[in-house]
Amino acid sequence: MEQNPRPKTILETCGEEIIRIVTPVSICMLLVVILVSVLNRGSSLDDGISFASMATMAYSESSSDSIWDKLKGALLNSLVFVAVVTVATFLMVLLFYLKCTKFLKYYMGFSSLLVLGFMGGEIAIFLIKASSFPIDCFTFAVALYNFTVVGVMAVFMSRMAIFVTQAYLVVIGVLVAYWFTLLPEWTTWGLLVAMSLYDLAAVLLPGGPLRLLVELAMDRDEDIPALVYEARPVISDAGLGDGVARRRVWREGRGDFDEDQRLRSDRLPDSSLGSYLYGESQSARNIVDAEDGRALGGASELAAPLMQHINIQMNSLENAASSDNMALEGIGLGSSGAIKLGLGDFIFYSVLVGRAAMYDFMTVYACYLAVIAGLGITLMLLAFYRKALPALPFSVLLGVLFYLLTRLLLETFVVQCSMNLLMF
Amino acid sequence: MDEDSRAPLSNLHPVAGAGNLLPTTDEASSSTGRSVRIEWPTIDGPLGLSHEESLTYARRFFKLGFLCLPFLWAVSCFYFWPVLRHPHSHQSHPQLRRYLVGSAIGFLLFTTILSSWALTFAIGGERLFGHVWGELVMYNVAEKYGLAGWI
Repeated sequence: MEQNPRPKTILETCGEEIIRIVTPVSICMLLVVILVSVLNRGSSLDDGISFASMATMAYSESSSDSIWDKLKGALLNSLVFVAVVTVATFLMVLLFYLKCTKFLKYYMGFSSLLVLGFMGGEIAIFLIKASSFPIDCFTFAVALYNFTVVGVMAVFMSRMAIFVTQAYLVVIGVLVAYWFTLLPEWTTWGLLVAMSLYDLAAVLLPGGPLRLLVELAMDRDEDIPALVYEARPVISDAGLGDGVARRRVWREGRGDFDEDQRLRSDRLPDSSLGSYLYGESQSARNIVDAEDGRALGGASELAAPLMQHINIQMNSLENAASSDNMALEGIGLGSSGAIKLGLGDFIFYSVLVGRAAMYDFMTVYACYLAVIAGLGITLMLLAFYRKALPALPFSVLLGVLFYLLTRLLLETFVVQCSMNLLMF
Repeated sequence: MDEDSRAPLSNLHPVAGAGNLLPTTDEASSSTGRSVRIEWPTIDGPLGLSHEESLTYARRFFKLGFLCLPFLWAVSCFYFWPVLRHPHSHQSHPQLRRYLVGSAIGFLLFTTILSSWALTFAIGGERLFGHVWGELVMYNVAEKYGLAGWI
């Protein structure tokens, strides 16, 4: 120990975990902002075009309505959407309860196929048209086919390079978020606020569907088969010291640890395995138990993945009925101590920032900071309470607040200052 | 506390917490620098697959890549990069390596063919193809079949 460099402080491990969640969220938001700026350039006045989809079933906004009408319409749309999502989530809880996990997995694969194949293809076509890129249809078809099939395999099959899986999850988030930004403005904002309130209710209330789902998963010590982004767990040097390679399990509730026995003949009695979010010794003991191959029953509250679940309805095909069960929301702690963030959170954060981008870049910066601040608050609460938490409310409500403040107050101030050559 | 932390081939030392000596996989178990031992066959290290599972997955990726999926071959090479990188290692599986080399060759071949066709199409343009170019290019095809209107 004398010749070792200074041990990693808790700040470094802590910071590393947070960075590993904030980076993909930021990348997702950045990509959506880029897509929105490139593709919606010429069509910012398309509120008059009716955009028929599930989310605007109740009311189709048009720019000639008064503010009161728009508000009522947006409220109606959001209520309808939240109702549909609630029903779908309860359906999912029922299916999970009846142990139809195979069906859920296939459904997940099918919806990622739809998103990557159809929506990805359409957005690629938009980009090609916007830039007049001289690609021919055969190459395009082969490229899209490859992209889609590998994406479905990465999300659906349990083992592929972590980087590839994470990248595809971010791409799915970007595509769905872009689709949501095509909705009319008031409906989008209403939807965001309604979804964050729903998330709050669904996760924290005792009868909420997401809470039921998490408890079911914990009781059975299973993974919920759904789209969740899991950050790579931070492996501290202490855990890996001196050539002992330990089989960490990524993305599985119960791992197969038998190979570990073959390679190593000893156990590290205590070593912090870098998941600072738990108490140090407690977590080390539990995870070391896990590594020893014993059943994770005793450590179930740490080992079981804590996640939440919500379904997002998409009407991406002609008049397809609900293709739900696709995304999740909520933040929790995975079985290897890594932070798990549902894909629904990625999507709604990006929708918020994308919608802000449709106004101006000043609102983008303000909303980005608000979302990241909200995420930080949620992570701190996660460290405190150590149970599944809704990740939407803080970020979205802060984001909406900052958007309104920027648009109403900051912009006038900045513009006036610049015009009078006072600042900026 | 730290017994034998210098012995190159010793396996385990109970580290009392802050042992920060993180040897690379190479140093950990080779006394010379020549023969490198792969600890983990995948790029994910301890979070990835074990040696037995890797064989199954590499075989599956190789076979599925024949369905016109060069990207899958590329992902397979990326995933098992340590095995490709250290060909003469102590623990290398010749079968695993065979599948990986096959995947790499397949990927390079397919990409060469596809990119040469795409570049010819893009650079040649109307001069080379005549009016067929306009019928093959993607944005016209999308217009013709209304592919961009679903969203």
